[in-house]
Amino acid sequence: MSSAKLQTINIRKEYPGTVALDDVSIEFEGGKVHALIGKNGAGKSTLIKILAGSEQPTHGKILVDGHEVKLYSPMDAFNKGIATVYQELSLVPHLTVAENILLGRLPRGSRARSFVIDWPEVFRRAEALLNSMQVDLDVRMEAAELGVAQQQIVEIAKAMSFNPSVLMLDEPTSALAQHETENLFKLIKKLAQRGVAIIYITHRMQELHNIADIVTVLRDGKYVDTIEIKDATSERVAQMMFGEAVSKHKPAQFTASKEPLMEIRNLGRAGKFSNINFTLYKGEILGIAGLLGSGRTELLRAIFGAEPFDEGEIVLGGKSIKTSTPVTMKSLGVAFTPENRKEDALVQILSIRENMCMAGLNRISTRGFITKAMERKVVNKLIRQLDIKISDMEFSVASLSGGSQQKVVVGNWLNINPKIILFDEPTRGIDVQAKQHIFQIMWDLSRQEIGSVFVSSELEELIEVCHRIIVIKKGRIVREILPGNISTDKLFVMCMEE
Amino acid sequence: MPLHKLRSWMKHSIMEIVLLVLCAALAFRAEGFFSMDNLLNVLRNVSMQGLIAFGMTMVIISGEIDLSVGSAVAFAGCLTAYLTQYLTGIGIILEVALPLAMLSSLIVGGCVGCITGFIRVRHKVPTFIITLAWMTILRGAAELITNGFPLTPFPEWYNFIGGGYLFNIPFPAIVFMFTFVAINFLMNYTTFGRSIYAVGGNAEAARLSGINVAMVRILVMAAVAFLAAISGIMQSAEIMSGTPTMAAGWELVIISAVIIGGTSLLGGKGTIRGTLTGIIFLGVLVNGMTLLNISEYWQHIVQGTLILAAVLANRER
Repeated sequence: MSSAKLQTINIRKEYPGTVALDDVSIEFEGGKVHALIGKNGAGKSTLIKILAGSEQPTHGKILVDGHEVKLYSPMDAFNKGIATVYQELSLVPHLTVAENILLGRLPRGSRARSFVIDWPEVFRRAEALLNSMQVDLDVRMEAAELGVAQQQIVEIAKAMSFNPSVLMLDEPTSALAQHETENLFKLIKKLAQRGVAIIYITHRMQELHNIADIVTVLRDGKYVDTIEIKDATSERVAQMMFGEAVSKHKPAQFTASKEPLMEIRNLGRAGKFSNINFTLYKGEILGIAGLLGSGRTELLRAIFGAEPFDEGEIVLGGKSIKTSTPVTMKSLGVAFTPENRKEDALVQILSIRENMCMAGLNRISTRGFITKAMERKVVNKLIRQLDIKISDMEFSVASLSGGSQQKVVVGNWLNINPKIILFDEPTRGIDVQAKQHIFQIMWDLSRQEIGSVFVSSELEELIEVCHRIIVIKKGRIVREILPGNISTDKLFVMCMEE
Repeated sequence: MPLHKLRSWMKHSIMEIVLLVLCAALAFRAEGFFSMDNLLNVLRNVSMQGLIAFGMTMVIISGEIDLSVGSAVAFAGCLTAYLTQYLTGIGIILEVALPLAMLSSLIVGGCVGCITGFIRVRHKVPTFIITLAWMTILRGAAELITNGFPLTPFPEWYNFIGGGYLFNIPFPAIVFMFTFVAINFLMNYTTFGRSIYAVGGNAEAARLSGINVAMVRILVMAAVAFLAAISGIMQSAEIMSGTPTMAAGWELVIISAVIIGGTSLLGGKGTIRGTLTGIIFLGVLVNGMTLLNISEYWQHIVQGTLILAAVLANRER
């Protein structure tokens, strides 16, 4: 029997159509910070959900202190001493810190079955808890008045109020500044010293050495290895995260022209990105590589006018653009597929047809008049061109799979006869086959001399799809590379190295 | 017709079917219901509210609301009366003064809507709040310019607009049907109409599709306010005065008709045809209950219940 506080044995989790976790066995020891690292889709979130009791494994066992447990609900997990702090903060903004910590368990008055909240006791308990964590926060403040870092700490306090033996932290630093991160790390280490097993989920390799004692890598739902932090060099971890990449589907004849299509000059936005210069050529697919928070999405959105930029200009079609809006950029032939397909790109309650005619309404219509027949004609053509598998274009777009929805988004934009398409994470949440379809569409568009800017957090995709890749870090371009002579782990190291 | 098509048709036309059943029942039970005079009367009664209901449908589909339409009707009626009185007072002949007054009321009405839309877009205040404010302001303004009493500067011929007949059809009913055709066309066969659905369904997706969301919002608010002004002029012509208390509570009847017609208060979903059914339904119901001597108190209870029932029925569509 091992000394592990928490142990998973052969955990497997199947979702319809995919295996999210396959045969994962990990031991988590008390008093140590155990980092769990892997790229998107590696299975980190699924594992957390299982350990937090919000999802059930298809099979496999979970052991707490050497005894098998079944976690049917988050309450079960709490009762077994497993507490979780999720990436998304979930404080109630206009309640006090103390209420948030003790939410649902507020102490009542002394009379039996009293309905009256014992306020002095609420604040006393919350204060005692924060003191034990050596955190200085006014428990009477409203959560909304706190900064993100402080809210994060309140979340941890809330988790600690259950007195857990295992604390899971899901990417807790994703919204924090440098010094806030350091404070958080001090707190986490203090908790570890009290014997709590800390499971620290991240995809930021550069954090590992500041916080972790042990590193476990997951890749494509499989356990790769667990190593001591002293052995975890960037190169080794990156190699474990990405494996040996094998994907060579790029078309044989694949070259961009040398005719400039769009020039970005000195583009900048305070706090997001600055001094961005690049040229996009006809038929070129230009990749932008960068970590989350590097400014890649903000840059793309600024080019399209979805968000503003403060300085610089975009030169396009002989015009200099100092303020872009979606309306003007569309009229200049620029299309944009946003990162959040469901929320920002599609109108879920409308039909496939209606969603595919949104951007191009003016082009499909004649002098502002439009009929269903006119729309059907256009949509039918697109469905054939993009090979969208649907039985009826009048069905709600919400009924489609992620991959088909993405094709609908692309199709919507093809109606304007775009010269440039800006793709923000077009493959997020879609399966491997659909990804290949999207790439195929991008290559086809490239042959039609349409230029594309392609932002993706999947670095291997960029290497597979693009003519050229720009690496962006902290809002600045640091490197320009050709994908032919670089491997995914090298590109990853470039994106994160200081 | 195959069964599943029939079922789908029935599902989509449920309110029309219920309306037909109601009419059939009334034809048997309520004496005088099924006469041409009575039916035209129903049509006239619903016209002035119905006109606005079509505009309200656009507004609600776009994800907004307008609570000020009742007050806007009163204000437009009173402003027309007031300006007529004022202009004739400074020596302008009635035949010129009255059309000028009507035109001014329409312009002012449309401007009020534009201002609402502008505040909505620029300062991101919900239209619920803005039009709640207008509701009080416009009612107050109507009372102010009339001093609280009906103004009666209108000539005999003006009554035609609100109470006259053209080819034996009440004139307001003609305006009502014309508005129905126009807005139905606008919503289904123009890019503007289609943009309204997109904005109401998902404003961010519409914006990122290069649709001018601000313009859509301003125009729908202006449209409903303009229609309310038309209705106000017709109403003042029917009663031959500008009365500050007229059209009290209309906003609720109008919004009810839109909801009964299957439009979603969440935006993005609804039809003008549905609103036509909704408004006629309410008109027939009130008329039928009156003919059956059912007390007005009961009428209110039935109307309210109907709104709930319609929302529950439409949820499934």
